[in-house]
Amino acid sequence: MNALLYLSWTSARNRFLSAFRRVRSPRYAAALIVGSLYIWSFLFRSPNRGATADFLLGRPSETLITLLMVLTLAGAWVFGADVTALAFSQAEVSMLFPAPLSRRQLIGLKLFRAQVAVLINTLIWVFVLRRGGNLLPSPLRAFSLWILFSTLNLHRLGAALVQAAWKQHGRIGVRRNRYSIAAFAFIGLFIVAGLVVHRSSYLGRGIGEFFTGLSDVLGSSPATIGLYPFHLIVAPTFARSIAAWRVAILPALGMFLLHALWVMRTDAAFEDAAIEASAERARRIDAFRGRRSFGTITGPKAGRTSLRLAAKGHPALAILWKNMLCLRRTVQLRLFIGPLAMAIAFGAAVASAGGDTAGFVSVTAATFAVMMIVFGGRLIRNDLRHDMLHLPMLKSLPVAASHIVFAEVASAALPMAALQFVLVVISYFGSLFAARQPIPGSIRLAVVVASPIAVLALNGALITVQNGMAVLFPAWVRLGSGVSTGVEALGQNVLAMMANLVTLGIALIPPMIVAYTSVLFLDASRGLSLAFVLVVASLVLTIETYAAMRFLGRALNRVEPLQTL
Amino acid sequence: MYGDFTAVRDVTFDVAPGEILGLVGPNGAGKTTSLRCLAGIITPTDGTIAIAGHTMDDDPISAKRALAFIPDEPHLFEYLSVEEHLRFIARMYGVPDVEARLPVLLQEMELSDKGLSLPGELSRGMRQKLAIACGLLHDPSALILDEPLTGLDPAGMRRMRATIAARATRGAAVILSSHLLNLVEELCSKLLVLRQGACVAYGTLDEIIGAHPELSGLSLEDVFLALTGEAGQAS
Repeated sequence: MNALLYLSWTSARNRFLSAFRRVRSPRYAAALIVGSLYIWSFLFRSPNRGATADFLLGRPSETLITLLMVLTLAGAWVFGADVTALAFSQAEVSMLFPAPLSRRQLIGLKLFRAQVAVLINTLIWVFVLRRGGNLLPSPLRAFSLWILFSTLNLHRLGAALVQAAWKQHGRIGVRRNRYSIAAFAFIGLFIVAGLVVHRSSYLGRGIGEFFTGLSDVLGSSPATIGLYPFHLIVAPTFARSIAAWRVAILPALGMFLLHALWVMRTDAAFEDAAIEASAERARRIDAFRGRRSFGTITGPKAGRTSLRLAAKGHPALAILWKNMLCLRRTVQLRLFIGPLAMAIAFGAAVASAGGDTAGFVSVTAATFAVMMIVFGGRLIRNDLRHDMLHLPMLKSLPVAASHIVFAEVASAALPMAALQFVLVVISYFGSLFAARQPIPGSIRLAVVVASPIAVLALNGALITVQNGMAVLFPAWVRLGSGVSTGVEALGQNVLAMMANLVTLGIALIPPMIVAYTSVLFLDASRGLSLAFVLVVASLVLTIETYAAMRFLGRALNRVEPLQTL
Repeated sequence: MYGDFTAVRDVTFDVAPGEILGLVGPNGAGKTTSLRCLAGIITPTDGTIAIAGHTMDDDPISAKRALAFIPDEPHLFEYLSVEEHLRFIARMYGVPDVEARLPVLLQEMELSDKGLSLPGELSRGMRQKLAIACGLLHDPSALILDEPLTGLDPAGMRRMRATIAARATRGAAVILSSHLLNLVEELCSKLLVLRQGACVAYGTLDEIIGAHPELSGLSLEDVFLALTGEAGQAS
């Protein structure tokens, strides 16, 4: 067997077996059963037709995915490609770089290994799209998805290689890659021109018509010219018949092959960049974290300004201080662009008619606040999900484990709650000047008044759930501050996010019961009463969260560094 | 115990203030597991650990506050600078005069001009020095060192040896695990030899040789190899 193939195969097999052996632990076995039931209920239920099919496989969904793809790929070019796309493990750098292997073979290894993630996500999405009905046989859908994810992966690696060439060769590198640069400039120009010229077709028409209008604009000239290559890649996945798939698959395959050719022929002396990326990653992967290699890990900026820490006070506050510095130096602001773009699109869809700027601001801010509840915990990870990698140091500190958990949860929950509170306030003041005010003023005021406590309680619960996963299942949860950003990791991210939200939903049952009971005795249509109900429900959620944190503290005492392997 | 595997069993010892105990044994003997148990990182399946009069079961916070554990691989927060690490540790262990101690310790560890550097900007040896500085900042009653000289240059090694000796002289109980037998011989007043998770010898070198007269006249290296059953393999 080829040595690189052998390395990839045995690594993947051993990693899987290592994770699977955890099932011998009752806790992991129980998690596997619950997880399997969840996946079965989410993915394997019988396929639907009609409205679900229209939603999953309709034109608006195709447009949305195409747009996401454009934004993701454009992000790689505008904000810099993910350098860890080039990263190898320390062992690979030590053993493979001096070995008699060509650059092309090393790139081939990167591509081959990425196929594990690509295939897993293909499988997940085949089942997700199966919920939209059996319009297309699963093998054909799987092949389409494989083409889509593989092309995106190739593009991510290609962008990293091109940017490594720029770094290596300076202006000469730019000249060598002039065709790539010109192609993206061309694409961007046509899309932006289409969106600007035909903006009246989708702005200010309500959320349903927004996507329909946007689909029409993106499907017509001039945007369609720029989007054409992206449509070619996405089209087979959304084909609703075998005939349509046959038409779409060959161009998609052509795009895939073109990308493969581009990546394999990119003349980039990437070893330096790869070693740099590998070293950067290795610095953050100590003896306990060797197996995780999918996350984007950016280097902390060598901040010369610090936050003040008083010499005296509760030691747990030092953990909070440390994690705030972590957030400040490792946060990836570009990850917020996606949710912000969606919020802006929603705001534009429902409130931009007739130049209602205040309404647009209000809706966008409120939507972004909601987006942060859904996505925020994934983007801000300066808590135990990061610090579990420092478990030996953490456990040797003279602080009670429950206090550690409390400080860690607060580290992520506080900035998220602060951001959401600011957004709620912006939304409220925007609504005061909006042309349309569908929600009564007293209700809006009640939400603003209750929001400091409500967002703290909600984020505290959400982050506790995510930290609980890291403490209880450290061998199965991705640890570290990095976030999986590749579209090929979308399937796993969606599953994990849904699991978190389901757990939060269960935690919300007691507060909902208390809120419902309160409503029976109070007139919730009055702002003051609503604020009271929200605060009481938040306090119930806080009590639940506190109990969960105490439990996690006891669990943290029992976790040993080896379990994070 | 890790599952069915017993990493360390029936190990009993004490280290008085001012003493330096050398913990030695071949790879896989259970040295690091023992040290991690002492530091409160791993909870032993059975037995009692007491640091400066505080048991790890009943009062782990006080026990941990009295000790410092310096592992072989420096565990540092990659987003905290050198000075920030020390301020963090000072707050954790309640060191009120951190501002006065900080420059002295940085100078002792030759890190004075690296105060604002992040661990990623330091060499392996400097990171080791930072980990040591973090351990020494709060003047621990018990100092646990796992291969403390790893990554240090010759001058750094000499200074580190002097630092360990000085801490013991000032009353700290020191446990030193190392494969460098000349270091152990130079610094340690007592030895604990582990083999396959069990204690095969404990006491001063004279006491150990007294219990094993056949080892009389041998060097520490030969004593070690004989006790751990590796003499034949080494030759």
